[in-house]
Amino acid sequence: MRSGWGAWFARRISLSLLTLFLLSLVVFAGGQLLPGNVGRTILGPLADARAVAALNHQLGVDRPAIVQYLGWIGGLLHGNMGESLEFRSPVAPFIGAALVKSLKLAAVAFMIVVPLSIGGGVVAALKAGTAIDRTISLAGLSLTIIPEFVSSIVVILLFGIWLRILPISASWPEGAGPLDQLRHLIPPAIPLVVIQFGYIARMARAGTIEALEADYTRTAILKGLPRALVVQRHVLRNALLPTITVIATQTAYLVGGLVVVETLFRYQGIGSLILTAARGKDFPMLEGGILTVGAVYIGATLIADALAVLVNPRLAPEMTG
Amino acid sequence: MQRPYSLIDPLRRQLGPIENHLVDEFLAGRLSRRFFLRRASVIGLGGPVLGAIAAAFGPWSAPLVQAATGKPGTTIRVGTTVPAGAIDPVTVGDTGGLLMLQQVGEFLVFDQQDLRLAPMLATSWKPNQDGSVWTFTLRQGVKFHSGKTLTADDVVATIDRLADPKNASNALSVFKGVLSKGNTRKIDDHTVAFHLDAPNGNFPYHISSDNYNAIILPADYQGDFEKTWDGTGPFRIEKYTPKVGASFVPNPDWWGGRVLPARTEFSFYTDQQPQVLALQGGQIDIVSQIVVQGAQGLLGDPDISIIKIEAATHRQVHMRCDIPPFNDKRIRRAMALTLDRPAIVTGLFRGLSDLGNDSPFAPVYPSTNKSVAQRRENIAEAKALMAAVGSKGFSVTLTTEQYQEMPDYAVLIQNAAKEIGIEVRLKIEPQDAYYGSAVFGKSDWLDSPFGMTDYGHRGTPDVLLAAPLMSGGSWNAAHFRNPAYDKLVAEFVAAVDLSSQRAIAGKIETLLLEETPIIFAYFYDFLTATRKGVTGAEPTAIAQLFLQSASAG
Repeated sequence: MRSGWGAWFARRISLSLLTLFLLSLVVFAGGQLLPGNVGRTILGPLADARAVAALNHQLGVDRPAIVQYLGWIGGLLHGNMGESLEFRSPVAPFIGAALVKSLKLAAVAFMIVVPLSIGGGVVAALKAGTAIDRTISLAGLSLTIIPEFVSSIVVILLFGIWLRILPISASWPEGAGPLDQLRHLIPPAIPLVVIQFGYIARMARAGTIEALEADYTRTAILKGLPRALVVQRHVLRNALLPTITVIATQTAYLVGGLVVVETLFRYQGIGSLILTAARGKDFPMLEGGILTVGAVYIGATLIADALAVLVNPRLAPEMTG
Repeated sequence: MQRPYSLIDPLRRQLGPIENHLVDEFLAGRLSRRFFLRRASVIGLGGPVLGAIAAAFGPWSAPLVQAATGKPGTTIRVGTTVPAGAIDPVTVGDTGGLLMLQQVGEFLVFDQQDLRLAPMLATSWKPNQDGSVWTFTLRQGVKFHSGKTLTADDVVATIDRLADPKNASNALSVFKGVLSKGNTRKIDDHTVAFHLDAPNGNFPYHISSDNYNAIILPADYQGDFEKTWDGTGPFRIEKYTPKVGASFVPNPDWWGGRVLPARTEFSFYTDQQPQVLALQGGQIDIVSQIVVQGAQGLLGDPDISIIKIEAATHRQVHMRCDIPPFNDKRIRRAMALTLDRPAIVTGLFRGLSDLGNDSPFAPVYPSTNKSVAQRRENIAEAKALMAAVGSKGFSVTLTTEQYQEMPDYAVLIQNAAKEIGIEVRLKIEPQDAYYGSAVFGKSDWLDSPFGMTDYGHRGTPDVLLAAPLMSGGSWNAAHFRNPAYDKLVAEFVAAVDLSSQRAIAGKIETLLLEETPIIFAYFYDFLTATRKGVTGAEPTAIAQLFLQSASAG
């Protein structure tokens, strides 16, 4: 079994590296299609063409595209993510700081939404067809369709401006402790919880209902096991498998896709970092940002798959296959 | 009323012809007090003569330098746009970046809110007979934050660096045809002479705070501004974190005297809405710049003050003169006549805007000739023009940017054009797609037959008269070629006295109304929002914010 895990892990890692490499190629090729050039973006549309040419030369973006890409990937293999064209300093500190911030926000959002939505989904399934089920399902569905920019502004207006109990900006002051940081992270986490709750709860509900109707559950009930024990031992284990996968796929969104929430709450996460890098045609920053989010996503699915095995060891042989 | 001219006459003997002409114009009543003061500031007429005229005609309405009256020692918290890249005085071209430069750096001359020039690192300046050489005297005893004393060498090196085509300088487009590398010359340690490419009556604006790249740096600047932040200004850097924010503390050695705040803090935002919310929630004291769209809530908020500056910020709606459907000037005029400008200004800016008269001469400029009649909506005349061409209408695409009020303005144009049978389709693009490579043949901005472009404020109309409208101009999206116009602009730029400038401006305005290559429908105000109780903050129309006299009481 142990060697099975090792082989599985090695295979997954090499596949992941291949995926990241292909991703870097796609990003680079896509970057070539964006209009304009970085010198023009930095200096603005009204700058003199001679100044633009001089800056492009200084930044090295007047070299052939393939030379630029090879130079960048060569640096990456030596552990150097390159230098930002716009900020003219190494990209690694930018990405590192943004990633830490994004992970913190994602963690707070997960801590709230995972127990809430799984609990909600399981309760809805156990009370399927009742008013409780309908309330949870309908509420989840309604919340999911509220766009982040609406829920974010409602949160800011309600807690930040009218009640004044939570900060408006998610950026905590320098030297803030964990509790203070948490207080700053709750407002931006709320819109994320609102969006995620319905989706995860629906998955948990469907999985639970399926497990409740499965033969092994009927057998367990017929054996005379108490209902609570049946739910705990047989239903939840099987019901939560698809839910774990869904949560893992949401990681990429929560870490890299929060441009609106980051903008409204003035939070310098990796989502807005990638967006501004793309706008500025800042290729090393863009590659670094996207590959980092890609790596987080791959890591999360890896963990989810491993968790799935732990919850249901019958899946293990599939790994070695 | 008898004027006590005897007070002024002895002083006038010391003045040159350009200065005396200006005084004559004012005494003859052909110049308002406001425009006289502005023009006097441009040609460096100051001190004793202004003092004597003031003594003779009563005190001026506004002091030349804002006095610091607020409570000292407060922290001023400002929300502003995130600087788009490295803070380097040579390359910066965005509002967040230029705001950072100006916190620590200073210019030779300060272009004030009312377009009067005030001394900053230069104490006085004057042109030669034809305005082709301008000589500036520098302030003595000014120290950089590094401790080095400011001399003419620093000024020469700074301006030469900006005028050098090899340096990726963002000021190159301002200096084009005005000042070349090597022509800024040291006379002595405290005197610098600028030998211009051609006579220029508005030259001091080109090296004033209007040219936001032109903060004076030490001669040995190495391109590492984010490490040194070495300027001469009232504030020194405390901390700068890219994309996040910056803080500054007073410079105890500042030549200008006491700096009121104990500290200033800048938080960077990527959007206006969170800044508005942070101001309303009391987390910041000032939003350095607001636009009416999305900030309507602030305009009526009793807890918020709005600082309003009349400016020349505008949109140019170009119609290509070289290809159909706008290659006949009558069709271009017809298009311009469909617009109800007062209604547009009310709808888009709540009236916080001047009307445009289809030329770069904004009402804010002293040189604008206001005797030229304002163009008004006239559908009957527009229809007659269309009939005269034999056009029953056509359809055309208006290409523009997704930026501030521009899509709304495009819809207003679309509706207005229907009145004369022109069907306007809209193509609204992200800004970078609209500008493309910003060169002819690779840019929707410069290639589209009908387009709308954003232009920021400038202290003089010179650049706006040249690049977008002169034959071969690098921003000439209208592809307008008119030798008579080119000649008039060259005359205007060379004119040193205001009455000549106005006379030529009148001819240019009339010519542009006749030809209408570009619709200039409005010039909107620059707005800064502060919490009630904030005093002494002094923004400029190009989005600088001077805080040395600010207090958040």
